[in-house]
Amino acid sequence: MEKSQKKDGAGNISFEQAIKALTQIVSKIETGEIALQDSLEQYEKGMALIKYCREVLSKAEKRIEKISASETKEQGTDEELF
Amino acid sequence: MVAGFAGTIMSMAKGKAKIYSVTQVNSLVKMVLENNLPSKFVVSGEISSFKKHSSGHCYFSLKDEGSVLPAVMWAGKFKKVKFTPEDGMAVIAKGFIDVYEPQGKYQFYVDKLEPAGVGALQLAFEQMKEKLKKEGLFEDKHKKPIPAYPMRIGILTSETGAAVRDIEDSIFSRWPCTKLFLYPVPVQGKGAAGKIALALRDINHRNRQLKLDLLIVGRGGGSLEDLWAFNEEVLARAIFESAIPIISAVGHEVDTTIADWVADRRASTPTKAGVSAVPDMAEVLEQLGHLQIRMTSSLQSMIELCKENLARILASSVFKRPLLLVHTKVQQVDEMQSRLTSAVSNLLAGAKEKLAKAYEQISRIEPHRLLSKHKVDLNNLTNRLTVRVKAITQKARVQLTAQENRLAAMNPKSVLNRGYSITTDKKTGKVIKTAADIEIGDVITTELAKEILIESQVKKK
Repeated sequence: MEKSQKKDGAGNISFEQAIKALTQIVSKIETGEIALQDSLEQYEKGMALIKYCREVLSKAEKRIEKISASETKEQGTDEELF
Repeated sequence: MVAGFAGTIMSMAKGKAKIYSVTQVNSLVKMVLENNLPSKFVVSGEISSFKKHSSGHCYFSLKDEGSVLPAVMWAGKFKKVKFTPEDGMAVIAKGFIDVYEPQGKYQFYVDKLEPAGVGALQLAFEQMKEKLKKEGLFEDKHKKPIPAYPMRIGILTSETGAAVRDIEDSIFSRWPCTKLFLYPVPVQGKGAAGKIALALRDINHRNRQLKLDLLIVGRGGGSLEDLWAFNEEVLARAIFESAIPIISAVGHEVDTTIADWVADRRASTPTKAGVSAVPDMAEVLEQLGHLQIRMTSSLQSMIELCKENLARILASSVFKRPLLLVHTKVQQVDEMQSRLTSAVSNLLAGAKEKLAKAYEQISRIEPHRLLSKHKVDLNNLTNRLTVRVKAITQKARVQLTAQENRLAAMNPKSVLNRGYSITTDKKTGKVIKTAADIEIGDVITTELAKEILIESQVKKK
């Protein structure tokens, strides 16, 4: 997933950051405070962000993992409970 | 009497084992209790697990630090109670003890119920709340924002309770793209608060690996003592110290614990915690679609605008008739040239005219004529001057002659003409006026008229 993000140009960012960046891009293009050339670049970036967000949302796995106390050094073992 | 009864049981146990039915045992206990306990009790305790059945009968417990006493209050008795009993409330109850045979438990049948001030737990709760509030643990400025789109949520609750299922369901139904991490902790009983606090610190400590962006701490409903772990200071402080935002979800709607006050957000139930923790996926997708439409349409209109601008620029006269500009300039230069030419010739003409006028004025003056006039004038003046001077001279001469004559008449020598003479000492030349002026023998000179001089010698005086 990380690799595909980078290919999209959305970079390794959180969903929240993606939405924020997207909102900024939209309002920038909307207010027209941007050169045409830049706006096309921003548009591409925006579309990549939308794609990335949709991908994140579509990867609904409904997983619950159990965190064991820190004595067991192995954290994040995908021990599925449900 | 009690001893005697116990004795019979003992003796029965010693002999051949008599087999009792459950009902018989319970009846026996009931009988013993009825016979040996006072018929009325006044009990002081705290209400717990209060439940009013739809029939109007009330079921609850009376408790203190060490023990719990199940209690029943029938609807008819309860009608007379003037306050609304709540869990944690300290009360004085009057009634009797009896065995409830169907469940094999004895219980307190309450006839009268009165409040007895605030219950101990309630008091402890209020005190703790006040203390932590004073310290500022509940202040809004310490509340961390709950992430808008949490992707890794940690849940601290009992592995076996209903709360974990409620939270999971409500989160996954709205936001299935998140990952849930369960950290099982005891949620009631002694030491539960400390264990939850420890778990919170452990998670925060390891969060660089766990990467949790939100925690939900909670449990389902229960009595005040069931929820007590969430009122303990150790847990309150752990919640306060957590760098990861925390949503608390303890009990039912009415239950508010210290943990709820300290948490960054409070949800009244575990299900509501799930709803409050995550956005609705459908809404987010809609929002994304909306953003896409806005972005695309505004870009399109921007491109349209640019196209229009370009078209307008291309349509301008500069591009239509490029020579127009040059021609306009040529025309301007021509105009300037003619203006310059006419200006210069005007200037010359003016100068010429001025010159002619000056010449005319000069020639009108006629200097030669003026000169001859001056000559005549000069002659006239000269003549007048000569005549006047001659007249003056003549007059002066006449006057002068007259004066001369008068003067001549006054000349001492003029008397000589009338026969007088003047005698002078020849030596000294002095006029002799007395005899003393001369000596005998001196030569004297006698002047006569017409400057005739006679010399004589004195002989006698």
